[in-house]
Amino acid sequence: MAWFKAIVFPGFLFLLVVFLMIFYLERKVLADAHLRIGPFYVGKWGLLQTTADVFKLLQKEFVIQKRANKLLFSLIPFVAFLMVAMLIAFIPFSENWYIVSTSFDLLIILALVTGMPPVFFYAGWASKSKYSFIGGLRAVNQMISGEIPLWLSALAAAVFYGTLNHVKIVESSSFLSFLILLPAFLIFVTAVLVVTDRPPFDIPEAEQEIVYGFMTEFGGFNYAILAVAKLVELFALFSVATVLFLGGFKGPILPGIIWFFLKVFVLYLFTFVVRASTPRIRMDQLLRFCWKVLTPLALLNLAFVILIKMFIS
Amino acid sequence: MSNSIALAGYSFTVEKEVEVSGEDLGLLQEKLLQLNWGVQHPASGPMRLKLWVDGDEVVKVDPDIGYVLRLLEKLVEYRTWINAIVNVERACFIDNFGTMTGYSIAAEKIAGVEVPKKADYVRTMLCEAGRIVSHLIGLGSFIGVLGVHTPMQWALIAREKFLDAFEVYSGQRIATASIVPGGVRYEPTGKFIEKMVHAVDYLEREFIPRYGEVFIDNPTLKLRTKGVGVVSKEKAIQLGLAGPALRASGVASDIRKDYPYAAYGELDFRVVTREEGDAYARYLVIWEELVESAKIIRQAIEGLPEGDYRTKFPVKVPEGEAYVNVEWARGCFGFHLVSKGGTGPYRLKMRAPSFANLWAMPEMMKGVKLADVPVIFASLYMCHGDIDR
Repeated sequence: MAWFKAIVFPGFLFLLVVFLMIFYLERKVLADAHLRIGPFYVGKWGLLQTTADVFKLLQKEFVIQKRANKLLFSLIPFVAFLMVAMLIAFIPFSENWYIVSTSFDLLIILALVTGMPPVFFYAGWASKSKYSFIGGLRAVNQMISGEIPLWLSALAAAVFYGTLNHVKIVESSSFLSFLILLPAFLIFVTAVLVVTDRPPFDIPEAEQEIVYGFMTEFGGFNYAILAVAKLVELFALFSVATVLFLGGFKGPILPGIIWFFLKVFVLYLFTFVVRASTPRIRMDQLLRFCWKVLTPLALLNLAFVILIKMFIS
Repeated sequence: MSNSIALAGYSFTVEKEVEVSGEDLGLLQEKLLQLNWGVQHPASGPMRLKLWVDGDEVVKVDPDIGYVLRLLEKLVEYRTWINAIVNVERACFIDNFGTMTGYSIAAEKIAGVEVPKKADYVRTMLCEAGRIVSHLIGLGSFIGVLGVHTPMQWALIAREKFLDAFEVYSGQRIATASIVPGGVRYEPTGKFIEKMVHAVDYLEREFIPRYGEVFIDNPTLKLRTKGVGVVSKEKAIQLGLAGPALRASGVASDIRKDYPYAAYGELDFRVVTREEGDAYARYLVIWEELVESAKIIRQAIEGLPEGDYRTKFPVKVPEGEAYVNVEWARGCFGFHLVSKGGTGPYRLKMRAPSFANLWAMPEMMKGVKLADVPVIFASLYMCHGDIDR
């Protein structure tokens, strides 16, 4: 049963399908904003288009630049993928469907996310390309500034529930907890966009400035793995947001797993709309925003939640 | 190496030794990073900017052009007076009516040909439609460099309607070759007028409200573009900026008003200017000119006179020369045409606005952040075909 969970149902295969679907939905929603149709020909309603794209990447040639650090260059995508794949193990998709549940779920997730910047930096550094190097530096710079509000707002939820275990957090959540943690939720989602460099904070891979940032030199299978790693990171953090602030798998009538994915999809929809309408901001503006607005707000919010906690318990 | 290139029997030497001297050597010795912004780059187009960056700050910019050089000026010399429009319109494919009109007026001046009034009105209509098409792409690509592709898609949909009108008029959607010395090539049929009205309707009723709601007063856009690449009024004249970039600095220079050609003298329109002179002002100038151009097209359709649309243009044109300026979508486009009494032009010199804007750019990019380079580049509203010719 444990192997089935890890490999088939909330594990690897199921998530692979989920990512292909998210990627498909992103393209469809963006196309709708663009007044286009989007993927259409491959499969019913173009459902298999993303699968075809992934298979195209898999059969591509494996190119390593002559000057690149070969070992690090070929290893980094897998390290990145392993680190984010571990995040998924701690997410409860419903009462029974999770891979592992410990008393430190939230801590482990935040610690692993904090470990991502060096990986992305080495991805850029090992490529030995100017664009990749600048991209790597930007990734570190941006993620470190985003992680502090991320931690602080997640801690607010942990303080409020008094536990780090995801299942217990979901069980003790209510409409009142949603209202009290609403500011923390907003800060958390903004910080997630910064940490996973989604638009409008996609500065490390700003196409028009530095081509594709630290992913410039990667191609084929390596690129696919690295790109999936970034997608998984976003998915894991949105799942954490759902667990902490939106009541996870709780909901009337429908089964828990459907409620969970509905909530995650609403968060995704928000990022798609932001992507379709908001221009990218500049590095110095991002740093000013993170350190002068988001971090102080997160601190204030933590103090507010502690104050509430004093009276509730 | 077992990649496909090596298997095919080719071998490359990757590292190439290049002699560096002068100022460039100094920059390299200061350990500045030299980035190639182009030729193969998502936002550059077929040209290269050599950027020397100190951290995130740009120290020096050196444009490297010539990747789409087609020798249009030379090719014109081998054509007849009428045929030459095919080369002239390829200065930039996006708005080709302006260049054709300029060349035709210059040729008519030398030959002493009077153009019928109807041709003037059709030329005006087509020129403004070309300006709208060009400005739509300008708006889309301006926000496109900031990572949002929605405006470009919306603009392309609005552009399609105008291309439909061009197709009905001349049979071609882009390279129409429809304005010739002596008038215009085709009768403006009722179907064409109908398509044009439809396109302008779509622009005014669908595109402008939808676009204006999201992408004009956009706070993030303002954050990124306000105060970026500021050029004062004096500096703009000194640098020789052209078109929307010049008008955004507060100089009300518009050939359509200053030296009216075609039917512009009889129509009522406003020269859009802005005082700020930054990237956002240049963006707004392009935006407001869209509305003005739509108005001009409506007036030209209303006032379209009856009569001939083309007169006979002589095969051999007497000796002489003429210099004609037209207000093209991207600025003042000059044509210096020389005739030696042959069946074709002896020499044509085209003064391109994008070329003028390009050489103002290194001055504007000194000390800006790397992230502002694409913004300033896009805000100057240049066309690569026009830079190289």
